[in-house]
This record gives sequence, structure tokens and C-alpha cells, in this order.
Amino acid sequence: MLDVTLLSLYVSGMATILGSAIGIPLGALIGLKEFGGKGAVKTLTYTLYGFPPVLSGLVVYYIFSRSGPLGDFGILFTPTAMIIAETLLVIPLVTGITITSVVEVDRSIKDTVKALGASPRQSIITVMREAWVGLVMACMIGFGRVIAEVGAAYLVGGNIDGETRVLTTAIMLETRMGHFEWAMSLGIVLLSVALMVFLFLRLLQEREML
Amino acid sequence: MVVAVVAVAAIVIGGAVGYVLMTQDDEVKSLRLATTTSTYDSGLLDYILPVFENKSGCKVDVIAVGSGQAIRLGTDGDVDVLLVHSPAAERDFVAAGYGESRTLVMYNNFVIVGPSGDPLDTKNSKNASDAFKKIYDNGTAGLAKFVSRADDSGTYSKELTIWSTLGYNKSQVEVFPSSWYIQSGQGMGAVLDMSEELDAYTLSDDATLYQRMSENIIPHLNMTYSGDSALFNQYSVIPVNSSIHTHVNHIVALAFKDWLVSEAGQELIASYEKYGHQLFFPNATPQTASIGSHSTSGAMGIGVEVVSRASACCPMQCTSRWTSDSVR
Repeated sequence: MLDVTLLSLYVSGMATILGSAIGIPLGALIGLKEFGGKGAVKTLTYTLYGFPPVLSGLVVYYIFSRSGPLGDFGILFTPTAMIIAETLLVIPLVTGITITSVVEVDRSIKDTVKALGASPRQSIITVMREAWVGLVMACMIGFGRVIAEVGAAYLVGGNIDGETRVLTTAIMLETRMGHFEWAMSLGIVLLSVALMVFLFLRLLQEREML
Repeated sequence: MVVAVVAVAAIVIGGAVGYVLMTQDDEVKSLRLATTTSTYDSGLLDYILPVFENKSGCKVDVIAVGSGQAIRLGTDGDVDVLLVHSPAAERDFVAAGYGESRTLVMYNNFVIVGPSGDPLDTKNSKNASDAFKKIYDNGTAGLAKFVSRADDSGTYSKELTIWSTLGYNKSQVEVFPSSWYIQSGQGMGAVLDMSEELDAYTLSDDATLYQRMSENIIPHLNMTYSGDSALFNQYSVIPVNSSIHTHVNHIVALAFKDWLVSEAGQELIASYEKYGHQLFFPNATPQTASIGSHSTSGAMGIGVEVVSRASACCPMQCTSRWTSDSVR
């Protein structure tokens, strides 16, 4: 069970890190910059909150299948494919929450910052700093989404014993075999793991480490 | 500030992509086997694969999905070999050129399962078709229910075959009234659980049934009708055609196939017992070895050559060899 738990952490953790690395700058950009079609972009981002994990899995499957366009990389049925599919789920979530946080902060401190004579670059830095709590929240929600998902992990990972089995796909397997109690305890392990991660992120939130 | 964040993001992503590309060419080339969930859940593979892995030095990665998906994985070249039990679909797969060959390995049986007490007396049917007729007649009269897999599984194919003996083709079966005919689209275990809850009849492979019964998950269900040769459930091993999908781990796929049908492999399959029953009955016909310039006949003839060529793809040295008395 330990390797399954560690793999869950690795896959979902990496997906959260990669997704946030893309989503936070993207969200800041969309939130703070004026451009044509901004409203449409924001709407699209929020719509993708509902992007089904199994659909993300299917898209990645299509692309990385041997018969697909990027099949030569041989990524299918490896943790890498699972990370890619989960990153696609994290990006819209982190982007959207970043947009909201950043816009909110910007609105409330914009005048103060200008009055204090900040340059454009300094004001962006200040906004991001003030939005820190919201940004960590974005990462937490992104992580929550992917640690809990099973559709993508099952489809592109294949639930291979010792290779791509994570907590959620293990729960599917045990449930399929009728071992409901064991599946339930795996679920509790998952929640405990999530709890530890969120406690850590909460600490970050409050310490304002930037 | 944005520049710094973007720079960090680029480094992280660049690092990740680099890692991915660098780790793609593993020296460990495992064998990818697609099989069905019922085969996997029986525990047979956890029992026999370590023996093959030990002899060949190759790891086997098992992907357990529905029959339809397993065959699709083979068609797309995402796995190296199939072990499935859906003869009609398998023949199509080989005929279409995606499967190199279809080799019989073992069989077990489908059985009809129903509420204990067997209200429809399916136990005393002349044959499987007769049992199904009783279910159909009582179902349409509102006196019984049947839960169907209604997916691409071997079990569903078998069910459709029996319905066809009564004159119902697939499109007709698909429109049986849902008041009695429940098209679940689920795996075998879930279908048994559903039948337990609904006091319904269903068709199941015996391994999954024994598993559910031994763990007391379906106390209100029992095996009713069995024994008709029409309920035979044949398993075959099919290496994916390496002419179409050149990247597949072909040598090891052939070594795996040869081992399954060898005397050692067949004996091992027969020795697998769970829930107080032998779950699989080996029925491979005597084979000629797939690899080797010499042809060896008889089930013992798994060439030394097969082993050494297989280990060329795997990282570990072979510490043991198959018994190969009849290798010439």
C-alpha cells in the first residue's frame, strides 16, 4: 500500500506543481492585463472547472496512444501520462482562482499603490504578494481535484500493479472485487494524505513565504 | 515579478519534459499484457506470472480492462500481447491483421446464476437456451429479472450467442424491456452484486461467482444451470502483430505464449486453486515452438533459444531454463 500512496502523492503533486507553474502566471496575465476577448477567455477558464477527468484521460490517451500523433514517446501506461492528464485538470482551476484573487487585490490596492509612486513592475509584484493567500488556495484546490480523481488515472495509467496503481484506482479495483471494507480504508488513507498536504499548505498561507 | 514567475515555470516545465524524454528509453523492456478484469480478478496471473518473470527475467505489466478495450489496446499497438476470452472478437482481430495468431490456452465455464430456490427451475433445463427461454418468458410476464453485462465483454458475447439460438439478434436483445432486462454496462462482480440486490438471474463465469460466494458477498444467489458445452469459456493468447506495430515487445510476447502452452505452463495453470475450486482448465494443443530454426513438437519443446532471445530484451540474467529435453 505504501508504494500506491507514494505514487498518488507523486503524480498528483507533480500535476499540481506543473499546473500551478502554468496557471498562476496565466491567471495573473489574464487578470491584470486588458485585451480583446478577455471576457470570453475568463468564461472559458471557468467552464473548464467542469472538465471531466475521464475526458482529460481520453484526450491524453488519444494523443499518446501508439496509434496517435505522439505515440512514439511511449508515455501511455506510465506515471508520466497520468501527470499530463492531471495537469490539464489543474490548469483551468488554478488559472481561474488566480484571476479572481488577483483582480480582487488589484481593485482594492491599485489606488494606494499608485499614490505611493510604484512603477508598473512594482505594482504587479505588490499585487501578487497581497494575493498570496488566494494563490495558495488555488494550489490547494488544484491538488484536491487531482488527488481525488480516478477517470484519467485509470484510463492513461492502466492501474498496473507496481507501476501505475494509485490510491483511487486501487479503490476501484478493490470495489470491483467486492472488497468494500478494504476499499474504504484505502479511501481513508487518501483523505489522511490530503489532510497532511493541506495542513502544510495552510502553514504556507499564513506565513506568507514569498 | 511576472518575468521571474514565468522563468521558474519555464524551468520546471523544461525540466519535466527533459526528464520524460530521458527516461523513455528504459533498458528494462517489460512485456505489456492486456487481459480482462475477470481474468485478473481471479488471481491467476498473480499466481503464474512470477514464475514466467523468474524464468525469462522479464517483467510483465498487466492492464486489466474490459474485453472490448483489451482488443482495442491490441489494435492500437499499446500492448504487446492479449489474454482474453471472446472468440468471435478474437477471430476478427486476427483476421484484420492486428493479431498475429490465436492460440488456445485454457477454459472455464459460464454458469447461470439465480436467486436461491431457483423460482424458474432453470436448474432442470435441457440446455442453456432452454434456461434462457424460461427467463425470457417469465421476464416478459413480470415474474423475473435478468441483469446483463451489456458491454464488450466475452461474457456478454456468450449471452448474445445464447439469445441468438432463440432467434434474438443483438439489436433485438438491446431493446428487451428494461422492466426485466437490465443492461448494466458493468463488470462481472458488479453485475453479481446487482443480481443479489434485485433477486435477478444472470450469466457469470464461474471464477467470479466462486469469489463472490466464498467471501459471502452474494448470500441470496446460487448457481442454477451449468454443464452445457455451449457455456464453454475459451481463453486464448494473441501476440500483437509486429509487422503492423513494429515497436511491440515481440520476442517476449512469443516467449510468453510458448510458456503458457508448454507443459510447465499448463500444469501451473491447472494447479491454481481458489475458493476450493480449480478455476481454469488448460486445453492447449501440442505446439511447435514459435522461435527457432529447429521445430520442436510437443508441449515440452520450448527452445532454449526462446529463453535466451527473450532475455536479450530483459535486464536480468536467466538463472534457469525451461525443461527442453526435446530440443534438437
